[in-house]
Amino acid sequence: MRSSAWAEAVKLAGSMVGRVGSVAVIVGIAALSGAMLLAAATGDPQLLAKLGPAATHDWTGFLLAAAQITSAGGLLGFGVVLSWMFGREFGDGTITGLFALPVRRSTIAVAKLLVYALWAVAMSLGLAVLLVVIGLSAGLGLLDADVWAALVRQVALGILTAAVAAPVAWAATLGRSVLAGVSVAIGLVVIAQVSVLAGAGGWMPLASPALWALSSGGSVSPLQLALVVPYVAASIVLTATTWHRLELDR
Amino acid sequence: MIAPVLSAQAVTRTFRNGSGVFDVDLDLHPGEITALVGLNGAGKSTLMRLLLGMLRPDRGEVTLDEHTVRSAPRDAWARVGHLVEYPLAYPELTVRRNLQLSARLRGVTDVASAVAGIVAEFALEPFVDRRARALSLGNRQRVGLAAALQHDPTLIVLDEPTNALDPAGVIRLRESLLRRAGAGSAILVSSHHLDEVARIADRILVINAGRLIGTLDPSTSEIERAFFETVRVDDKRSAS
Repeated sequence: MRSSAWAEAVKLAGSMVGRVGSVAVIVGIAALSGAMLLAAATGDPQLLAKLGPAATHDWTGFLLAAAQITSAGGLLGFGVVLSWMFGREFGDGTITGLFALPVRRSTIAVAKLLVYALWAVAMSLGLAVLLVVIGLSAGLGLLDADVWAALVRQVALGILTAAVAAPVAWAATLGRSVLAGVSVAIGLVVIAQVSVLAGAGGWMPLASPALWALSSGGSVSPLQLALVVPYVAASIVLTATTWHRLELDR
Repeated sequence: MIAPVLSAQAVTRTFRNGSGVFDVDLDLHPGEITALVGLNGAGKSTLMRLLLGMLRPDRGEVTLDEHTVRSAPRDAWARVGHLVEYPLAYPELTVRRNLQLSARLRGVTDVASAVAGIVAEFALEPFVDRRARALSLGNRQRVGLAAALQHDPTLIVLDEPTNALDPAGVIRLRESLLRRAGAGSAILVSSHHLDEVARIADRILVINAGRLIGTLDPSTSEIERAFFETVRVDDKRSAS
């Protein structure tokens, strides 16, 4: 596992997709959140109406905006990187080199997911730090206990959003391409949005982390949030099993 | 007789379109270079995929060090080096990083020494800190060959290894394979270049329409004519 994890970390760190994905998740989400903060400061009634609950020029509105963007944009950003990690082996033809090794392919798949998870944690922490820097620079004041709690929820939301993108790895494997995984990532975003509109978001692992963060933990029960665990576990098992049984027959 | 390192017994794999590999028996022995020659689509790559576990046979069995390929232990796979169709060379990584990655995945303990040795053997020094994406096709193939051979495997399976190589690369590969066979490695190479395989192979197997149809004597003076005659006779027999 150690050699596989090292290999995956080296590939992600050296890749353009890894670098662009990191910038998109950290700088992209932070910049959009900052833009909404600036918009809230204008006092334009039409603009404030569009921003909704995030239309307050304070930490609460700013972090609410960040959570909204993370839940949709973050899912897509994390999904694209995860799809690339799996699908690129087929697109680049390097998959043939991952057979006939003393490392099981299921181990390689799990190593990819492990590196992805560590990267997602780093991105979520990095995003939170950048949000604090932007908030302080914008004069939102010092961080009280409520702001710290919102920041912790933001970090948790980032990690959970990356986690619920896990089926993308399986899709990229089944489809044997990055595009197949990206398509599923887009599909996951749509399903999450629709499930919220339909009022089933709390029971939908794709949407429950966002609803939990946006409601300050109020509108999603611990049981509903815990459904993310079997959802992600099933995705990991399916992906690892598919890699274990993989045949290069097409 | 020394036991084969890798053995295929009555291996068959049929694809939906009817093509595939049929009833192949093949033993690869230590110290022997076996060449597999055939026309495009004859089944060379499919057979190699079956031998390395990339495909599962519908019938028959492939054994590696007397274990079935599906249950072969880690240490058996650690002694295998292969390049099938695409070199294991990630475009975003330097040549050195690619070789380190491959060595670590193959369980090499002294990675630095293995990389230094193979870089010298395949004359990769000028490119060692260059990203693989910046290399020519031939040099990327060299990197793939280096990745497949740097851990001194006892079983080597190479699919069209001279693809895109320049004459200097072909000579280095030839010398490397001859030296490794002399040291006891079992080697299987597929190629279109009959003259090239005739220089190194102990035996040449002809594959046509997914079946091993005969052998060629590497010392035959007009080996291309012998090859085409073998294929022609087989095609005629199949048609009748």
